[in-house]
Amino acid sequence: MVSKTEEEQVNRLESQVENGGGGEWEYLCLVRKLKLRRSYNVLKYGFSILNDPKKRSALGPEEWTLYEQVAVAAMDTQRLDMAKDYVKVLQEKFPESKRVGRLEALLLEAMGLWEEAEKAYSSLLEDNELDPVIHKRRVAMAKAQGNISGAIEWLNKYLEIFMADNDAWRELAEIYVSLQMYKQAAFCYEELILSQPTIPLYHLAYADVLYTLGGLENLHMAKKYYASTIDLTGGKHTRALFGICLSTSAIDQLTKGRNKDDKENSQLASLSATALGKDYKQRAPNKVSLLASTLKA
Amino acid sequence: MGGESLYDIHQNAYIKLVLHALKHGTSAVNAALIGRSSLAGDSVEIVDSVPLFHSQIGLLPPLEIALMMIEEYYGEKGMSIVGYFHANERSDDFELSSVAKNIGDHITRYFPQAALLLLENKKLEALPEGMGPESSYAGTAILGPSSFPMTWVLSSLLQGFEPFGHSCPLGMIPVFVEPNLPLIKFKSDKSFPCLVPSTNQSASLPSFTCHLYTKDASRSWKLVGSDGSNKLVIKEPSANIVLLDYISSEKWKDIIDFDDHLDDISKNWLNSELFQ
Repeated sequence: MVSKTEEEQVNRLESQVENGGGGEWEYLCLVRKLKLRRSYNVLKYGFSILNDPKKRSALGPEEWTLYEQVAVAAMDTQRLDMAKDYVKVLQEKFPESKRVGRLEALLLEAMGLWEEAEKAYSSLLEDNELDPVIHKRRVAMAKAQGNISGAIEWLNKYLEIFMADNDAWRELAEIYVSLQMYKQAAFCYEELILSQPTIPLYHLAYADVLYTLGGLENLHMAKKYYASTIDLTGGKHTRALFGICLSTSAIDQLTKGRNKDDKENSQLASLSATALGKDYKQRAPNKVSLLASTLKA
Repeated sequence: MGGESLYDIHQNAYIKLVLHALKHGTSAVNAALIGRSSLAGDSVEIVDSVPLFHSQIGLLPPLEIALMMIEEYYGEKGMSIVGYFHANERSDDFELSSVAKNIGDHITRYFPQAALLLLENKKLEALPEGMGPESSYAGTAILGPSSFPMTWVLSSLLQGFEPFGHSCPLGMIPVFVEPNLPLIKFKSDKSFPCLVPSTNQSASLPSFTCHLYTKDASRSWKLVGSDGSNKLVIKEPSANIVLLDYISSEKWKDIIDFDDHLDDISKNWLNSELFQ
């Protein structure tokens, strides 16, 4: 997960390089460390380094990591010719390497040769049954071929083995949301909140799913989780504040008049509205009146 | 009903849709179409569009907020939400997802002639070809959507997953190649799934990169125009050329959607400075 400061750092470096101020290597290292997906830029900058023999030798042993990174970026942007070249270079340097083997299988995937890729992955798995990367690639391949139910199946199998992989839970939740299977998505977010209760994004996503599911109980829970998101983020989280306004108004609609904690509801709603109003005034003054009329609705 | 109407889309609205889809090439995106119907009721003018989201499209709260704000803003200008645009995550996926249909249904409740546009990736890819062999775009390519799921590529190899909030798994990864990187220029005869743009009766009508769906009497979404009738026209015939210009100048980086706005409210979802 990337924090805001880290993201700003990357963006700053990116614009620096873009404007000719150098810093390609730092950018590439940061992208690699934060596991970001900025393949267009990685390919551009990586290529410029790798193509220049002086810059390449200046990297020392890191040269090979860069080859790997740029090869993957090339595959992501469908520059398969470049990817093939880079993988070949790595093959020549590390002939029996499993890591290069994975890259080769990845290249097969990029070319759309699903069966060959599957064969390659299976043989790699024979040597190491518990390689999470390969299991994940299986899921990705199913997804690419449009076999979403297959992807879900593989992902569930993966999670039986690697229960603590939060990214996998998130991935599964997002797949469920895209298929409108909100109950299952809610379950995934519950697991995430259990394992990492202090990450506000999970609370927010869970609240969103509960609201989408609807029903009085879910709306109450959603309200609670929006509130906990705000708690965990120091009070200014736009989406959560909006969430509170939405859920309180939905609860009001469902329980017209017969509710005892109406007062608490409306207090919460007006607090959020005020917080939003303040924030908009500060950062988006041209939208303040729009916000006010929206909140009234 | 909806099936008989003509839909007229303004250039800026159209361009915003495509730029938004290009910016977030690895996830599904959607947008709201704004406009009004003609006095006679036989055509709908799509004046503007607001890119909505590029992550977790199936969730209700952000959608509700967005639609409310958009209605409030454009209502004052005498316009309303007249349609919905959707681009699927995978390049070869031409199915109208249930999320898209549900949102379309909701919009139809308030505007019965609502249009549902689905981006057709292959047509987008073929756009430079459609400009003719003599044009300056010949020989370049909007990099084909790959059905290559990069979901966990980077992260898997680096033992992790994509960070939250960034694009979900993949599909369309269009990249407009730069002319000064020698290795990267493509020739159009490479093994590219480039289709010749679909039959356009009139040479002046630009080929469109979207499919149009409307709700017919049986209340289901039907593809319109597959029989060759052009029910969806771009007001300005040079729209695709302008679009290609923007793509080559990487204008898609500047487009802001509602997701961006909710993450940072100082970002303006109206994109009023985009075309200046």
